[in-house]
Amino acid sequence: MENSDNRLEKLYAIGALFKDPNKIVSAVKRIVELGYKNWDVHSSYPLHGIPKKMRLKWSPLGYIALILGLTGTTTGLFLTWWTMSVDYPLTIGGKPWFSFPAFVPVLFELTVLFASVGTAIFMLFIIFKFPNNQHPLHDTDYMRKVSVDYYGILIEAKDVKFDVAQVKNLLNEFQPDEIHEITYDEKEVSYRPKVFDVKFISFLIIVGLLTSAVAYLFNNKILYSPPFDFMLNQFRLNPQESSTFFADGFGMRKPVEGTVAKNQEYYPYKNQPEEAGEKLVNPLLATKESLELGKEKFNTFCSPCHGWRGEGDSRLNGQFPNPPSLHSEKVRSWSDGRIYHVIMEGQNIMPSYSSQLTEKERWAIILYIRSLQRALNAKQEDVQ
Amino acid sequence: MSTNFDYTIEPEVVEGQPKLRDINDAIAKPLETKPTWKYFIALGISTTLLLIGAICLGYSFYYGIGLWGNNQPIGWAIPIVNFVFWVGIGHAGTLISAILFLFRQRWRTGISRFAEAMTIFAVITAGLFPLIHTGRPWLAGYLFPLPNQHHLWVNFTSPLIWDVFAVSTYLTVSFVFLYIGLIPDLAMLRDRTQNKIKKLFYSIFSLGWRHSNRHWHHYEMIYLILAGFATPLVLSVHTIVSFDFAVSILPGWHTTIFPPYFVAGAVFSGFAMVQNVLIIIRKVFNLEHIITLDTLEKMNKVMLATGMMVGYSYGMEFFIAWYSGNPLETFVFVNRAIGNYAWAYWIMVSCNVIFTQLFWFKIIRRNIVVMFIIGVLVNVGMWFERFVIVVSTLSRDFLPTSWDYYKPTLVDIGILLGSFGLFFTLVILFIRNLPVVSISEVKAVVKGSQPSHH
Amino acid sequence: MGEKKYWKSFVDLKSKTLSKALKQQEFSYETTQDFHLNQLDDISRRRFLALSAATVAIATTSCTNYRDKGSIVPYNKKPENVLPGKPSYYASTCTACSNHCGILIKTREGRPIKVDGNPDHPLSRGKICARGQASILNLYDPEKIKKPLKKEGEKFTEINWELAFSELLTNLNTASNNGKEIAIVTKPIYSPSLAKLMSEFQKKFPTTKIYSYEFLESYAKFNAWNKIYPNSEIPEYDFSSAKIVVSLESNFLANEGNFVKNIRQFSEKRNVDKLKDFNRLYSIEGDLSLTGANADYRIPLNPACHFEFLATVLNEMLTNNFNRIQNKNFPSKDVLFLVMSHNLEQFSNKTGIDKKIIKTLVDDLLNNQGSSIIVAGDSVQEDVHLLAFLVNEILGNTKVYKQKPKPSIPKSSLDDFVQLTKKIQNGQVGAILTLDCNPVFHFPKDFQIKQAIENVPFSCAFSEDINETTWHSKLILPINHNFESWGDFCDGYSFFSTIQPVIEPIFGTYQKEDVLFGLIEGKLSSNAFHKFLMNFWKEEVYPKSNSGVEFEQFWFGVLHDGVFPHEEQENLSFIPSYNFIYDWRPLAKESDWSLVIKKPYFVGDGKFLNNGWLLELPHPITKVTWDNYLAISENDAKSLNLQNGSIVRIEYNGKSFEAPVFIVPGIAKKTLIIEAGFGRKVVNIIGQNVGFNPVNILSKDDLEKGYILHNINISATGKNYKLASTVEHHSLNDTFIKDLHKERHIIQEGTVDEYKKGKLQIKRSKEHISIIPEIKYSGVKWAMVIDLNKCVGCGACVTACNVENNVPVVGKDQVLRDREMQWIRIDTYFSGTTDNPSLNLQPMLCQHCDDAPCENVCPVVATNHSPDGLNQMIYNRCVGTRYCSNNCPYKVRRFNFYDFRNHFANGYFYKDSLKLLNNPEVTVRSRGVMEKCTFCIQRITEVLFRSLANGRELKGTDVKTACQEACPANAIIFGDMHDKNSELYYWRNHKLGYFVLEELNIKPNVTYIAKLRNKKSKEDV
Repeated sequence: MENSDNRLEKLYAIGALFKDPNKIVSAVKRIVELGYKNWDVHSSYPLHGIPKKMRLKWSPLGYIALILGLTGTTTGLFLTWWTMSVDYPLTIGGKPWFSFPAFVPVLFELTVLFASVGTAIFMLFIIFKFPNNQHPLHDTDYMRKVSVDYYGILIEAKDVKFDVAQVKNLLNEFQPDEIHEITYDEKEVSYRPKVFDVKFISFLIIVGLLTSAVAYLFNNKILYSPPFDFMLNQFRLNPQESSTFFADGFGMRKPVEGTVAKNQEYYPYKNQPEEAGEKLVNPLLATKESLELGKEKFNTFCSPCHGWRGEGDSRLNGQFPNPPSLHSEKVRSWSDGRIYHVIMEGQNIMPSYSSQLTEKERWAIILYIRSLQRALNAKQEDVQ
Repeated sequence: MSTNFDYTIEPEVVEGQPKLRDINDAIAKPLETKPTWKYFIALGISTTLLLIGAICLGYSFYYGIGLWGNNQPIGWAIPIVNFVFWVGIGHAGTLISAILFLFRQRWRTGISRFAEAMTIFAVITAGLFPLIHTGRPWLAGYLFPLPNQHHLWVNFTSPLIWDVFAVSTYLTVSFVFLYIGLIPDLAMLRDRTQNKIKKLFYSIFSLGWRHSNRHWHHYEMIYLILAGFATPLVLSVHTIVSFDFAVSILPGWHTTIFPPYFVAGAVFSGFAMVQNVLIIIRKVFNLEHIITLDTLEKMNKVMLATGMMVGYSYGMEFFIAWYSGNPLETFVFVNRAIGNYAWAYWIMVSCNVIFTQLFWFKIIRRNIVVMFIIGVLVNVGMWFERFVIVVSTLSRDFLPTSWDYYKPTLVDIGILLGSFGLFFTLVILFIRNLPVVSISEVKAVVKGSQPSHH
Repeated sequence: MGEKKYWKSFVDLKSKTLSKALKQQEFSYETTQDFHLNQLDDISRRRFLALSAATVAIATTSCTNYRDKGSIVPYNKKPENVLPGKPSYYASTCTACSNHCGILIKTREGRPIKVDGNPDHPLSRGKICARGQASILNLYDPEKIKKPLKKEGEKFTEINWELAFSELLTNLNTASNNGKEIAIVTKPIYSPSLAKLMSEFQKKFPTTKIYSYEFLESYAKFNAWNKIYPNSEIPEYDFSSAKIVVSLESNFLANEGNFVKNIRQFSEKRNVDKLKDFNRLYSIEGDLSLTGANADYRIPLNPACHFEFLATVLNEMLTNNFNRIQNKNFPSKDVLFLVMSHNLEQFSNKTGIDKKIIKTLVDDLLNNQGSSIIVAGDSVQEDVHLLAFLVNEILGNTKVYKQKPKPSIPKSSLDDFVQLTKKIQNGQVGAILTLDCNPVFHFPKDFQIKQAIENVPFSCAFSEDINETTWHSKLILPINHNFESWGDFCDGYSFFSTIQPVIEPIFGTYQKEDVLFGLIEGKLSSNAFHKFLMNFWKEEVYPKSNSGVEFEQFWFGVLHDGVFPHEEQENLSFIPSYNFIYDWRPLAKESDWSLVIKKPYFVGDGKFLNNGWLLELPHPITKVTWDNYLAISENDAKSLNLQNGSIVRIEYNGKSFEAPVFIVPGIAKKTLIIEAGFGRKVVNIIGQNVGFNPVNILSKDDLEKGYILHNINISATGKNYKLASTVEHHSLNDTFIKDLHKERHIIQEGTVDEYKKGKLQIKRSKEHISIIPEIKYSGVKWAMVIDLNKCVGCGACVTACNVENNVPVVGKDQVLRDREMQWIRIDTYFSGTTDNPSLNLQPMLCQHCDDAPCENVCPVVATNHSPDGLNQMIYNRCVGTRYCSNNCPYKVRRFNFYDFRNHFANGYFYKDSLKLLNNPEVTVRSRGVMEKCTFCIQRITEVLFRSLANGRELKGTDVKTACQEACPANAIIFGDMHDKNSELYYWRNHKLGYFVLEELNIKPNVTYIAKLRNKKSKEDV
């Protein structure tokens, strides 16, 4: 407020200060009679009887508290009911999902919380419109005195009845110890900060960067270093995991040569294809599901080389020599057992598929091959 | 109607009829003068304790709570004991500021502000323990009903969740209560101080309070409302804390007497603590004429009363144990008196029931030194009460094969000291930086401060 | 709430729709709807803050990286019948002790993770002991020897196999060329193929001599047997055909003979539905053994009086009941003459034993001639054994004898070893090979094996891990664990069983047979013995099977089943010779203090002192872990004013050792009991400072006499030692807490007689009325029954559980703080007097209560109930408030106070070889997490998914929990409580069934079948 040229002073109000609380009482009576609207009494502690004499409306906070309290209760009720019995119901200690008695404490606390905090906020920020440090009264001698041991009374300039001379006379009637003209600076009060001043923007940027940096560090580094433990990295070997222990890095080991597991069945016809052909018979019937199974497995394991229809048209375009067609006389004349043997032991460059396929699947594939053969040959006959 | 309290001047509330200006000066003095060496010694001691606690906590956070004495049957020990103890301490504050307010006890004005502050510090201290006593403290967030990657919510049937709600609510509400009370005083300081920074600080936190009677009008209303809510709240909080035990199935915990018993105990120990600290404060900052001897005497009376309630509960527990005819129950209580933790039990009884009887004598009630000592003893006793309840019960439960004995480790002790360190550090900082006595309230009850004729 | 907006993990966030939207336009719609640059000046600072907050939020949430989750390494060529994620099983034979039980090794992706019994095995019938269960830990022990070690000066240096082998070969050659003996010291060899190999070896190196022995071998018993039944093999007992069992200082239910078989046969005859052949066990002992704990009548008796006792019994028979004895053809006069001096009167006056009991005992024996048996323990002296055999002979109890497996190479006598040391001193021995055994530790100092090994020109130890013997040898060859080796076993009579490897040697070792074979061949090759074995079987065993199939298929079948029975069952007949009677040796005289050295329960011959699981397995009686101790009676302790753990000095014939005492009720007066096998000096980190070694107090004669020493001298040293027991011990004189387990109905028991007469009242609390609706369970609901009549408390279930569920070892310091982690424990309750207590054993595990008190109090629902009635833990939800554990009346919840794998033995259990051990199906719990028995939920789900895949209904009987699978007594039954015609349902509703702490109305789901003691009713006595 130093340089007086660019200030535009305006009168806010005229106030009187008293040392004796009793004078205030009478003053209040008078002013109320004269019917001023925008006026106020100031004291550093509540003066009793004054609000009544000022004809102030009875404070609504009680009802506010009631409403907010009930809100709290219902919120609690909803929270407990929805979480415990709708969103993720779980059996806990054999209790029903919505076991109300157990929720009462929570409801109570929420009621109190909402009511008390809510009411306080309502009073401060809605009734009082705080924070308000731009108010003309601040930093005036009037205020300073009032806050120690004076009792102040003031009439605002914006009151319809307001008139400087009249008001001064009126206040003088009460023999005040002092009379103050309280003025304020239009600019200062109506000052609104600009968004794009450099300081503010840079402040924002710094905040942004800091938060990101901290968050990154925390989310990706600190959280995964001791002592923090979320049991993400398990000290055990899951299937298909690599292992630092074995030189070859394979977590999965091969069974030892020549051992026999419980789920292993003996194949008696090792390199005796003909015997296999005679002795082995297909246990499966050509039912729909076994054909389905056969088709699935055929397409997975056989078709890459033998082709979708087993015509030897490999999809591996020439990386391997194409296998002969499965529709040759030879194969058609083979018994199921003979083909089974090929699957078990492989032939020429075809490796054994015994480990990839279970016994059932092998037989199912053979059924499917049979059906393929029948289908294709039927076609040829049609041509003739 | 709430708007016209009948504050007739009571000589003994504020002695020697000081001028309003003097009250301002007296209360603002510690904030404006340079602290004395006494102050720094006090601060030094408390911060050292705090540091010890912090180090112990750091260790147990890093290596796991195996550093504590807890073992298989005794899952809860000193941390939980501390938790209950400090929550209890907190209760006296609310009692003084809220309940006595509702009962129009004018003598409370001198100490209410301080009591409220203590409540908050005590609850802060207490609130730490449920968090740090867990095996994986960094997951404490799971204790709140927040959406998380498990899609799981909290278990609202668990007393620990009730605790979370109760304690956090209690902390918030007491804070609001304290803050609302502080606003006018901050405004006063704002108008008084010359220091720029201080002024900024006060302006921000006084929110631009203008001592307007249009505001006082609502202000008194909300003070009443807050007091009205704080009263059932304070009762509920320790009730719920006692549920931690009462709701479980352990003989010795599973008792219906616990809620009143705990609340009484809380007030008991709380008053002892407030009394102790006030005695120091009024000496150090010579506020004898505001925190008067009568006030202290009244507090001693309260301690006597609550102490006897506690004693009654002790007796009642045994009676019920016998009367119920439940062998498990009987065993536990006999075991308390003659069993492996008898020593703790008898410390508790002597401190809480026997010594407090001295308060029947006026001389002792008004003798600063003696009342101080008794206050200390009461706090010791109440701490051991919680120890007996928590540890001795766990160490002798259903299956004799799972019994065991608990010995605290140095880390446990360190954390206990740390909690005291934290509490006193906060208190000491508080008395330097905020008005320890509610200026506006005191002024309001000084002789001649109210209009004599209406 | 529908589909949730918040993200499950940082990585997951990337894919979430919200953040996708954010990528396209920096602010989500809500924030930017009225965001126009030209109006910027109008918008308030607060609004702008909101915007910037949004930016910051986005910046932070989007700055997450992908953490390395490792890479997927599939099989290049998938082996047959290995499906990733599916276990496969291999039949093999356990070599943890000389019982050679048949085992099934469970492997995952070609890695063994669990061992269980092989159901096809004739003796063990699908069960193995705790030791067998835990032996898998030795396979992965990171402190095993990995490379051959050569002693240079005082220290060992690693050398490669070629060098080691050639060194060995040259030394043996020089030895045999110079005609010096090559001594091979080994455990008894039961493998016919190895025996063959040995003979081949002897052909190559003619000077070879084989010395085989067993730790704590009962030479006394052996000699006694050969006296009464010359030239016939010493038998073992078939308890399934014994109605009356008299155990004299014997512990046949825990560590003597094939105890797995014994437990099975014993428990089969304690079926409360077959009271007719309910057996009765008398136990007369100075120790309080597990057998004694299970006895119907237990008589504490100072070991010095063993002979007198039997003599008195015999006397009682011959003098008062002679005509009742059926077997008339024995020299009754001579026998009578022997025992004349011992009449019942003076015996009971002297020992204070009630005459009635002995009368009943005699009566029982006479009523059950041919179906009763007197078992004298391995530690007992020769003459007592003689008398026991004699009484059995007289009563015609030889029917109860069964053939004991016969070593393929006969065991050596003690004199052989004396000879060996002599020869070494005279330099007649050129080389000594110790095959996977530890003579330096096993033999008393008197034998000077240590000096012998040091003095011999060349000594080579074949061993898996370092021990006292390797320490003094010149060359150490690391050998395969049993699970990495080929081999076989033959009991010498009725069946063969095979050993097959389930994983390639993980530390690149060779199996000892390979090396021996290599020595014969002159070159070392890893698969050599496999071929040799097959050849052996082709030539020797295959012919025995007159099945049509050719050898490949036969061999395949044998490996598949693990056993090959063949009918050469020679029927046993024992021709007694009575001439020993005339040169009767004087007895040990009634003396001051006597010391009994017994076999340990779990650590075998000390080999397993490097196995954390076994060391932490509580002692069945005292629950002491990680140590052995001198058991002493309360009164004796008082008289010497000793407390638990005060160290005493034991002197005997000028030799001495020190050990702490532990007060055990029921130990006989003036008697000290200690278990051998502890106190090894050279052992891996686990076994260091574990226990005390009493063996050195013995001399050769003592060994031959037996393991009971008289006239020993005990003196307090004033030193103290901490013994870690998992339970608090209270004196039985403390009336305040005495018999609480009975008052609280934790233990309910009665006698067979009461039960027969319907006098036995099992306390069940009545149905409580509930104000809240009960949870209805449909479909399968899991429950368990534990039959306390069958359970003998062997501890196999505990170990099985540890292995199955990745339960950590916590170490002695943590046990001292009562933080042991075993999910199932066996509670021991004492009642009665401190001189002669009666014991109750009770396996205690999570009871999976319907109204579980632990669930109510967990703030984060980390424990809750599954639809099939399991009380389940969500480990990664648990914050560790320990409230659940407080509120658990059974205290079966276990808390990870530390990361125990890291805390114990400076991170031993985080060595990377042990990563292979952990069960991939079970979460490895971190510190700060509560854990407990899950009823093996991983097994349940496996079965569930299998039945879903095959479209079958899940049946309760399909699932077996680890403890149930292991229990040698079949005392544990698990299944679906809704399945009306299941075994579980029957027992759950049996009239002897009860729940522990049922009155709390928490509805536990583990039924206990009350124990019946087969005592004689008043009127019979």
